[in-house]
Amino acid sequence: MSSLAAIATAVAPVARVIRAGVLVCVLAAGTVLQAQAKAMTASPAPWLPEKTYTIAVASEGTDEIAIITFGPAGASVQQKIPIGLNATDPDGPHGLAVAPDRAHYYVSTAHGTPYGSFWKLRARDHAVVGRVQLGNFPATAQLTPEGHLAFVVNFNLHGAMVPSDVSVVGVDDMVELTRITTCTMPHGSRINRQGTKHYSACMMDDMLVEIDIATLAVSRHFLLTKGKEMGMPGAPAGMGGGATHDMSGHGMTAPAAGDPTCSPTWAQPSADGSRIYVACNRTSDIVEIDAATWKVLRRMPFGAGVYNLAATADGTKLIATNKRDQSVSIIALPSGRELARIPTRRKVVHGAVVSPDDKYVFISVEGIGSEPGTVEIIDLVTLKTVATVDVGQMAGGIDVLR
Amino acid sequence: MRSRDTMRLRVRALDASGNDVPGAVVRFQRAGGFFEGDVSPEGLVRSGSTGTLPLVVSVTQPGRRPVIERLEIRMVPGPASRIDVTTPVATLAQGQRMRYLASAFDVAGDKRDDRVLWTSSNPRVVQLSRDGLAAAMAPGTATLMATAGTAKQEVVVTVPTRRIASLEVSPSSADARTGDVIRFVAKPKDASGKPIDGLTPIWSFSPGQGLIGTDGGFVGYEQGTYTITASFGTQTAEATVTLSARDVRRPLEVVGRAPRRRFTTEEVWLHPNGKVAYLGSGSGGDLFYTLDISNPANPIVVDSMVMNTRRVNDLMTNAEGTVLVNTREGASDRKNGIVISSLADPLHPVKIAEYTEGLTGGVHSAFVYTQPKYGTHVYATNDGTNELNIIDITDPTKPREVGKYRAPGPNAGGALHDIDIQDGLAYLSNWNEGLIILDVGNGIKGGSPMSPVVVSQYKYDLNDLYRQVELAGGPGFIRGTHTAWRHKNYVFIADEVFPSSGVQGAKDASAGRAYGRLQVVDVSDYANPKSVAFYEPEYGGVHNIWIAGDTLYMGAYNAGFRTFDISGELRGDLRAQQREMAHLNTADMEGFVKNSAMTWGVVVRDGLAYVNDMYNGLWIVRMKPKRGITP
Repeated sequence: MSSLAAIATAVAPVARVIRAGVLVCVLAAGTVLQAQAKAMTASPAPWLPEKTYTIAVASEGTDEIAIITFGPAGASVQQKIPIGLNATDPDGPHGLAVAPDRAHYYVSTAHGTPYGSFWKLRARDHAVVGRVQLGNFPATAQLTPEGHLAFVVNFNLHGAMVPSDVSVVGVDDMVELTRITTCTMPHGSRINRQGTKHYSACMMDDMLVEIDIATLAVSRHFLLTKGKEMGMPGAPAGMGGGATHDMSGHGMTAPAAGDPTCSPTWAQPSADGSRIYVACNRTSDIVEIDAATWKVLRRMPFGAGVYNLAATADGTKLIATNKRDQSVSIIALPSGRELARIPTRRKVVHGAVVSPDDKYVFISVEGIGSEPGTVEIIDLVTLKTVATVDVGQMAGGIDVLR
Repeated sequence: MRSRDTMRLRVRALDASGNDVPGAVVRFQRAGGFFEGDVSPEGLVRSGSTGTLPLVVSVTQPGRRPVIERLEIRMVPGPASRIDVTTPVATLAQGQRMRYLASAFDVAGDKRDDRVLWTSSNPRVVQLSRDGLAAAMAPGTATLMATAGTAKQEVVVTVPTRRIASLEVSPSSADARTGDVIRFVAKPKDASGKPIDGLTPIWSFSPGQGLIGTDGGFVGYEQGTYTITASFGTQTAEATVTLSARDVRRPLEVVGRAPRRRFTTEEVWLHPNGKVAYLGSGSGGDLFYTLDISNPANPIVVDSMVMNTRRVNDLMTNAEGTVLVNTREGASDRKNGIVISSLADPLHPVKIAEYTEGLTGGVHSAFVYTQPKYGTHVYATNDGTNELNIIDITDPTKPREVGKYRAPGPNAGGALHDIDIQDGLAYLSNWNEGLIILDVGNGIKGGSPMSPVVVSQYKYDLNDLYRQVELAGGPGFIRGTHTAWRHKNYVFIADEVFPSSGVQGAKDASAGRAYGRLQVVDVSDYANPKSVAFYEPEYGGVHNIWIAGDTLYMGAYNAGFRTFDISGELRGDLRAQQREMAHLNTADMEGFVKNSAMTWGVVVRDGLAYVNDMYNGLWIVRMKPKRGITP
């Protein structure tokens, strides 16, 4: 672990910049950064929050977790926590989930020989306090509301396209309790706020899968292919996506015109659990499903390559990262109206997490090649980006520590 | 339970009063033993081999902390069905004593740990203790019977009429150097001076450090005079051997440097013209560098190729130097695979093709190999599937996969890490599966690039070998067969080993360290590869190696750059017997990790070693002649 000098800068909304007279271009020189930091200390910028949020983001390309603060002084990286087993080969931290009591947080490392792991870190000092080996490419993770179970999808994007599973981890003891087979390449997953259902999307099978948390079994599944939407009971039959390998560029390759394939990358329950929103990365739309009737309500077109989703606790907004569009969509609920589409500084937009008070959404952006990853912070009231922070390459899993 | 059997577990969830808990969900899950067995969520245990299978049994109820019980299923071999005698000595001289050793195996070939009991059919001829200690009492024949359960194995032993009247060991004296293997032969004769053939003595030596095998092969580690003894019980004979220092230590000099600190430095490769080097990058590195090394004292970066990757771990040209192949890991589109570049101008590679199909998980290592019969192929390790993917690049603009191979067994054990190919035989460093030799065109097994055929496998107990790493850093540490190099009748294999956690309380990566061992595997008999020698640094690891002539060059991670004399027959501890020739600490106070060596590997050309260090870039090093004594 090492403390880092602040490497971030607050990016003011343009209108406010002019009024405040603050330099807003991307700053490279440390002296300029210091000058701005002092200015912020002397007179907090109006677009910055009064309280300080602490965010953790995993960088798959550099095997580290960045701890970021965002508050009256702007946003900056406070610490980088190395994570992984192998000092020379990449472990690939991918998913990140904070416990409901915020005492611990959890990170999935996707790479292994070949199985990945799920790590438990103490939020107070970022010490690793547990690890358990899971399946092929553990990715998105979330804990149940009472904090005893974590659900981690084993994405398994490599090799033959065969059904994979969702690991259920007892986080008090850090043991894997079971694996629930779903379908091919289970991806972005979320548990409803009621703690009764887990939803995951299977990229290669065009499938949404619902797991009943009480029984730890698949209860229903839903075909998401455009024009063929259909909800079905029970677990899907053995699928395989019809492909020998995934060569789609993981959501970066534009589909052929008219391709009805959804290629779902995220499942997000609404705040009251009555709706499930599924990001269709290929068709660039969001499918809204009625959780009670298990029928599609509508398909809402949004940004190219819509990828991850997040929802505000008050149920009024849905946030979507648009992977091929280098942007973030802010969507009003229940209307489905796109309130804003906000460009990001770098490409390959990845994750989104909303602050507990619904005021901000924190976006992770992977970048390409040796570009740093970025966390972009959007004010959910003004719908503007108010700060960006560079972190390690391939920033992905992100959550709010406090 | 017996290995390769199944067993059904049943669990009842009870409350504090001992009553069944309605609605509780019981699940079984494996918590280790990923190579040995499995359990279904409902509790059906399937044993795949001997060993211990840790399981977790959980009872969950919505909103409550799961109740967890851990149990371990010990999977033991089945009944003994075969006994192997490892000292099948068929002739004993009168008065000779010999310890017979045997092991029992079940029908699946799993070794049992039960005691093998011995009896003699004719104690007048051969007395035999229950533990196999034999004493030849009189001329005749006895059948020695080894028994474990219902399994039996006989050894028919003849005690000749002729007694040993004299015994010689040859050579009676020898002068050699530490590390030289000297073969001693015992020559028993009868009273008439005629040799008695077919007898095997017990060999021993004193004083000093070294080892001697049952074949009389001796290697000493320290200077001095050793007494070698051959014993037939009543008759013993000695020989002496005087060892001088091996005296191979040499100074070295750093000829040139190309520090790199933006990213970690990965593989180095030289163009066949010897004037151009290619250097990979990692830890987020999205390029490889081209260096003009025509003046080794002043290597100059003249070009680089940026690509969609976050690691160029490996790169290699074909033998003609017309194409360069580099690997990719961590690409933002997750396609990874390999990139093929034209070397029409070796100083300025130009990408002409890439191959990503099925290689989305990344390629860690790639070996370019040409066979006149089959053309040129890239043998690529597949990070995602642990397969060897064989890609035909005879037309480098149109790469196509023509074959693949994956080690049998659980996927978890098959992380293929590196490949060496010589004479149509591919040497796969297959992590938990050890060394696997494939025929990819040699012909001894009818293999080809399109259809590789296994020749043999050398597997060893990594957990046992690196027990101290687990003790130091906890379970779940990194260890596996990492690299291999065929030289003469040996395959040199090196392990990659890191502890599962960093140094407690340490500030940063500088305090971390690697471990590891190099083994020398004798493949004179391909069907029975056996480890005959080893090197393990006191501090640091072993990573990539290069062999030129009788010198082995090694990047030893924290142990820096090292070279070894590997002339002659190899046996025992290469470090103890003073075969190390040179050492360079490739640390740099301005490095990617400051003042810390992480030596990756080396390429040797024209007497110069091009050493790449992950933290510190390229070093060009020359071993100088042995230092003369100044009067």
